[in-house]
Amino acid sequence: MDHVPTDLLLMLFADARLPVAGHTQSAGLEAAVQHGLTSAEVPAYMSARLATTVRVEAGTAVVALHRLDHELPLEPVVAAWAARTPSHALRRTSRAQGRAMNRLSASLWADGAAVRRVARLDGCPRPVALAGAAAAAGLDALSLARLVGYDDVQTVASASLKLLPLDPAAATGWVHDALPEVAAAAEDVAGLTDPRDIPATAAPQTEVWAQAHARSTRRLFSA
Amino acid sequence: MPDPSPTRGLRLGVCGPVGTGKSSLIALLCRELAGRMSLAVVTNDIYTDEDARFLRASGVLTPERIRAVETGACPHTAIRDDITANLLTVEELEEEFAPDLVLIESGGDNLTATFSPALVDTQVFVLDIAGGGDVARKGGPGIERADLLVVNKTDLAPHVGVDRDRMVADAEAARDGRSVIALSRTDRASVDALTAWVTAEVARHRAGELVPTDPGPMAAHSHDHPAA
Repeated sequence: MDHVPTDLLLMLFADARLPVAGHTQSAGLEAAVQHGLTSAEVPAYMSARLATTVRVEAGTAVVALHRLDHELPLEPVVAAWAARTPSHALRRTSRAQGRAMNRLSASLWADGAAVRRVARLDGCPRPVALAGAAAAAGLDALSLARLVGYDDVQTVASASLKLLPLDPAAATGWVHDALPEVAAAAEDVAGLTDPRDIPATAAPQTEVWAQAHARSTRRLFSA
Repeated sequence: MPDPSPTRGLRLGVCGPVGTGKSSLIALLCRELAGRMSLAVVTNDIYTDEDARFLRASGVLTPERIRAVETGACPHTAIRDDITANLLTVEELEEEFAPDLVLIESGGDNLTATFSPALVDTQVFVLDIAGGGDVARKGGPGIERADLLVVNKTDLAPHVGVDRDRMVADAEAARDGRSVIALSRTDRASVDALTAWVTAEVARHRAGELVPTDPGPMAAHSHDHPAA
């Protein structure tokens, strides 16, 4: 394959128009709002996720990418991710998103060995599916970690426009202001190679809300 | 393009505006067809599983054959632009139950929402007589070009001051010969016409003769192209 510049690959992956059912996700914001989170608190919510769940996700993605590049088993990565994601509802959602990503990857990189390897996993979570796509596309670890962080923040922002309607320029301002934190979180995990080193920074409140959300009958978003 | 392979069952979409009777039509089809073929249902609703619960409560299918897809308040996107969540759910049901027919109900949207032919093999657009006699005449992609147009709740016509025959005639005129069924749950002949249409679509699919077509959100394209 001809070399594709990293920034163009990131644009492709981070685009909300990527057909991976991104519109069904709120990165936990719907559950948080149902439990009283206000519009003014959304930037703090983004920061809290960047300090916790995003590090688990991004750490899982870069370790999976390393192991794909070195042909090491992926099962320990999935196990480490599951141990750091106590909510069954969040694990199930991540696996559904992983299937959606793998479906796209199978179409874009049909010959990619990494894509086939992650698709064969039993219950491939989203960060591992992203790692498979990154390996096939030629995206480096730091870029992959940034992608995970950026996507989380942007998912919160776009869901906020449905849940807590406001001037969309304000929501984009939140994303812009969170970029240095996204960069810092990505730097922190980009060098990880061992599943044991994936940050164990789940956010218990987010997990509890996610469990309650999965049982609610009047939700707009999957999670 | 979807593979119209007879190795999987027919995927039938049901769309149309809110309140026209999509869920009831699916419940009716399940009751009528469950004895003859294996069925599964996917719902897309504003709030997750309202329609799925309605169908489960109606007892027409076992609950595990009825799945709800969240649309993030984007029912149109979920059946048209990014159909991934629906496709994954349909494939899951096909893998588990190998149904002859999967019915996919859109979230009640507007007159412009139709299914992508990459998601469904054939689609029904549902209007109801109480929505007003002029709706069929106004047209739109689903009304004009869905594989079947159902004008539902015809028994209400005298109560809402709509001329049923006129509305059906308008619909037929807008559809250029495509099928129209004037449906009422209390009119046995109309129910039989609906099940016969669905059964025939299943047979066409099995025979490999059904090619999914897009009703489009755009108006039909009908000008002369200049010679190249």
